Amino acid sequence: MKTVILALGLMALGVGCGDDGVNKPAQDAAPLHDASIDAPPPPPCFSGTPTTHEQIINACTTAQQIFKNTHPPLLLPDGSLPALPP
Amino acid sequence: MRRLIPWMAVLALGSAERAASAAACDTLTNPIYLQVGDTQLNLMKRLGRALRNNTPKPITLVFVTSGSCTNITAIYTRVAITGNMQYIPSSTEDGNWSPASPTLTCTAPGTGVVPDIANSALLNSACTTAAPPATVHLEQGPVQAYVMGVPIASSQVAITYEEAYFVFGFGAAGMVAPWIDEAQMFIRTVTKSTLLAWGANISVPANKWKGMPFDGSAMVVSALQTSTAPEKAIGILGIEVADALRNSIRILAFRSKGQNAAYFPDSSSSARDKRNVRDGHYTVWSPTVWMDTVDGGGTPVKPDTRYVINLIVGKPVAPAANFAPLDSIAAVGLVPDCAMGVSRAFEGGPLSIYKPAQSCSCKYDSLVAGSTCAICSPTNACASGTCRDGFCEVQ
Repeated sequence: MKTVILALGLMALGVGCGDDGVNKPAQDAAPLHDASIDAPPPPPCFSGTPTTHEQIINACTTAQQIFKNTHPPLLLPDGSLPALPP
Repeated sequence: MRRLIPWMAVLALGSAERAASAAACDTLTNPIYLQVGDTQLNLMKRLGRALRNNTPKPITLVFVTSGSCTNITAIYTRVAITGNMQYIPSSTEDGNWSPASPTLTCTAPGTGVVPDIANSALLNSACTTAAPPATVHLEQGPVQAYVMGVPIASSQVAITYEEAYFVFGFGAAGMVAPWIDEAQMFIRTVTKSTLLAWGANISVPANKWKGMPFDGSAMVVSALQTSTAPEKAIGILGIEVADALRNSIRILAFRSKGQNAAYFPDSSSSARDKRNVRDGHYTVWSPTVWMDTVDGGGTPVKPDTRYVINLIVGKPVAPAANFAPLDSIAAVGLVPDCAMGVSRAFEGGPLSIYKPAQSCSCKYDSLVAGSTCAICSPTNACASGTCRDGFCEVQ
């Protein structure tokens, strides 16, 4: 079964620390879905001055982030995409 | 396709009813004829109203909406518009009109009229590899994001590049739950910027898309709003359309290829600052392109076309307008070039850092989110940067 795990980013708009010390989504954050202890840690963001496309899209930000760990059934074993059907 | 037929019938009926009382477009004040993408309707409404009331130079924007590729062809090859067109009343004509009100209808003059201005809501190269004819001048205007939306009753909040590839490239066979019902995938036809822009960003060419192709954004909106299977429903829209409907349609965050998280066009699901479009975290966007006809020397054949285009793209005009076009642009969810921090050379292409010659980021923020920039005036100079529109812009 596909595992879908959404977690909200550890960002100013996205997460605050509650009284019990657990990270909780801020009021304007997106709904939390299927949060699970097996959620992977957030991938690292790029903290320098971005210059390439990859650095720009992964630059550290205070914007709300959503981590979605999905494995579409038709992904190839190496994680690449198959050709589109004719 | 069965769903398309009743919609077309409804639209045809509506057009016929309006035609009965339509005025002649060429009797309106200083008409400029436009053919624009239907994602630009909200901009046409606001700008049309402001230009009707622009006492230094009153202009009536008389327009039709169509697919971006169709619009490019229309001005490249001078295809005349016939039949009914739309326009906005001045405050004198209808003081109660608002952008939520319908447009008025007039009939195109004579045997038709070639558009004075055409708009593509994405880079022209996504539609045609042909160079523009020497008689057509192009200007890049505000950026529009494209979004995937779901009914507000859906629990979905994000979609990844890989999921979107399988959902729209394979349809039900892609097996990406909950989007496995092709009758609940609301897409656009192949000449539309929304489909082309998304296609370039998820590696699904226009002719390969699965789902229900609709001719107009309004049809996608209605299909999402009335879906009887909201968890399975998903549609593609321009942000100019979706931003106005957040109470019924949820914009999904999108994780692009090679990205570590999914992002909304705005800094959060509830913000309207387009920060992620402006800094490159949300990748599905295109500059709008505005075209007019010029003579052999590059001068507009109809000078007021350039007046309108310059207002849209943020260039100075003479006489100065009695309104701030940036207000209209920001209000409909578009991002002016001067507030962008990234650029791209072709549809779906890699992003590069961009520094506009004259930034308006502080001013734009003040309109959509509130600005934290220092304020300035003729008697209150900036400690750093340039004073523009009351804010200390970085350049």
